[in-house]
Amino acid sequence: MNFAFGREEEAFRHEVRAFLADYRDLDGFFRQGRVWPRVKAMFQAMGERGWLSLAWPREHGGSDASAVMEFLLWDEVAYARAARNPLAAGIVARTLIRHGSAEQHARWLPPIRSGHLHFSLAYSEPEAGSDLASLRTRASRQGERYVVNGRKIWQSYAQDMDCLWLLCRTGSSESRGRGLSLLIVDIDAPGVQLTPHPTLDGEQLNEVLLEDVEVPVENRVGPEDGAWALMSEALADERHIQFPPGRVRRDLEEMNAWVREQGLADDPHVVRRMADLAVRVLEVEMHGLRVLDAMQKGLPAVVEAAANKVAHSVVCQEIARAVVDLAGPEALVEGVRPSLLWRQSLWETIGGGTSEVMRGVVARKGLGLGGRA
Amino acid sequence: MDFELDTDQQAILDAVGVLLAQYAGPGRAIDLAAGDAYDFDLDAALADAGFTQVAATRGTGPLEAALVTEAVAAAGGMVSFGAAALVATGLGAGDLPGPIAISEARPPGPVRFASHARTLLVLDRKADEARVVALEPGTCAAVRSSFGYPMGRVPDALARSGDALGGGSAARLACWWRLALAAEATGTMAACLDVTTRYLSQRRQFGQAIGSFQAVQHRLAELAIQIEASKWLAREAAFQGAPAEGVATAASYALAAAAQVFAETHQLSGAIGFTREHDLHVFSMRLQTLRIEHGGVGAHRRALSAERWGRA
Ligand SMILES: Cc1cc2nc3c(=O)[nH]c(=O)nc-3n(C[C@H](O)[C@H](O)[C@H](O)COP(=O)(O)OP(=O)(O)OC[C@H]3O[C@@H](n4cnc5c(N)ncnc54)[C@H](O)[C@@H]3O)c2cc1C
Repeated sequence: MNFAFGREEEAFRHEVRAFLADYRDLDGFFRQGRVWPRVKAMFQAMGERGWLSLAWPREHGGSDASAVMEFLLWDEVAYARAARNPLAAGIVARTLIRHGSAEQHARWLPPIRSGHLHFSLAYSEPEAGSDLASLRTRASRQGERYVVNGRKIWQSYAQDMDCLWLLCRTGSSESRGRGLSLLIVDIDAPGVQLTPHPTLDGEQLNEVLLEDVEVPVENRVGPEDGAWALMSEALADERHIQFPPGRVRRDLEEMNAWVREQGLADDPHVVRRMADLAVRVLEVEMHGLRVLDAMQKGLPAVVEAAANKVAHSVVCQEIARAVVDLAGPEALVEGVRPSLLWRQSLWETIGGGTSEVMRGVVARKGLGLGGRA
Repeated sequence: MDFELDTDQQAILDAVGVLLAQYAGPGRAIDLAAGDAYDFDLDAALADAGFTQVAATRGTGPLEAALVTEAVAAAGGMVSFGAAALVATGLGAGDLPGPIAISEARPPGPVRFASHARTLLVLDRKADEARVVALEPGTCAAVRSSFGYPMGRVPDALARSGDALGGGSAARLACWWRLALAAEATGTMAACLDVTTRYLSQRRQFGQAIGSFQAVQHRLAELAIQIEASKWLAREAAFQGAPAEGVATAASYALAAAAQVFAETHQLSGAIGFTREHDLHVFSMRLQTLRIEHGGVGAHRRALSAERWGRA
């Protein structure tokens, strides 16, 4: 057992930190929708350094870097509040690399690698949230194209993205997970209509209406009706970078600094609660590293990742809520950090897989209890 | 002993229900919150119908005022009704011009309803007195917040001014304020649970209503148990005329429960609960404001302990 990173890894971490110094005030992690041009420019700068394709295989323009390097990169980006890791270079690219054709590789990977092409995840629907396999958006094959009809909802950042990574039904309506396909849909295609849903953190989510949207068959990634397995594989590739502990570490530091500014640092209740939270942050750190360790060894890390997601998201909320409780009404003022963290962290236990789904994974797969997946 | 409403109390709640159906509700609260506005129409309607003075009316008292306060909160009324109907009347301060805001002598931050207030009640522990300050609306600068109520910053000089209400008034103000908070929190929590239960009984996933899953039911049931207890603790404290230990108990309990009600109702509502179009936030965000007012749960607990066992 060894809890330290190697020399090369630490050197890379420092390089990333130096890069991020230019983006210190960006706050794209929380406010991507407001600062997208700058976040995109940062992604492009990362693309120039080969960082968006760090762990991709060399033949696809990647560096074959280890999971550790990738973890360090996105952990630092999260700590710096610069951005969340982009879907395109993650789930989309990895699925394309595994299952895409040579033509698809040539078409999509270069602009993703360089940070020029961005995707929104179009999975959830008004009637298909936790039960994703019940989704109804239908793609009907008509010759060399699909005609897509349906409604998606809760697409983060879709207002700024170029494409949808669309999960839709190509099989019969009862086919559940066996009848789903993945399509790349140009967000500006005729028949695609976005509606914003303002959210409690002052940002927005989106609803995407698809009416007779024509999608060329060559935009389907992987086999028709075979998307379910692809999605799980892609998720598996991302487990170590999806919920980086850097975010929580930074939450605690920011909140601690804010509490000090308010002159509360010596209050024994505050001291006790902050210490308590510091312990929780290390708990999250350990869960994150456990996932990384399993990934590094080529293990599935399903249970570790689920545990990590629960701990990470719950601690985000605990930190923000503790500080608002301790600091009182000053923390409710619009524009102060605790107010934002308090509202933003609200969804961390819902988006990206609810705590209920994650706890279900720990129970069924970790503890070997029975029950429906 | 009888936990059932008597016919007069039922009649009061029925009447206030009719009025709230017309002048309150989450949609109206969302519109008002967008402009940091105060619901002067609802305030006037409640006063005109005699509800604001129900505690000082023959045949009714603080219990009825607490019942109405709960109901107004449960309907998302954007009015400082608890401050008027429980606190001002409880202090015997007469029929003060509303909206009424309540502040510590050294407010730890923005104060609920202060930006609209025409009366400020000040709790000055050091001087051991409560004071009444008459205000021009707008004297306290509005502060934007996303936590469900209009807020304003009370200038220091203002919080030090006003007419003292005499010996023991600080302690009495503290008690009535706690009671108002407990009643408001109770109504607000009940609304959170109601919005969520209604949503989850029609929201279907995996071929059945989410509310029919046992794991979900247990969590909602736990909230129901806590809200029920909050309700009766607050009502009893009102019935007893806001005794220090009783109100500290009611406020400690209700505002601790509020954290769990907030977290669970949001979690179980899924993504829709995070949007501004869904009703939950009208109530849930207010819980956080109530939670930290008047020193927060910690202060209520310290008050309880001091009353029960004496200050160390
Ligand atoms: C901020 C945010 C960003 C998002 N971004 C995207 C995105 O970019 N793309 C996308 O496709 N989706 C996105 N989502 C949607 C997200 O994936 C869904 O919110 C999630 O799958 C849950 O679905 P739901 O909200 O419909 O909740 P529901 O399925 O309606 O569930 C409501 C609650 O009930 C619980 N529940 C449901 N069934 C059970 C059960 N059997 N037992 C116990 N508890 C149960 C759930 O865990 C949840 O707490 C986002 C969501 C949020 C909040």
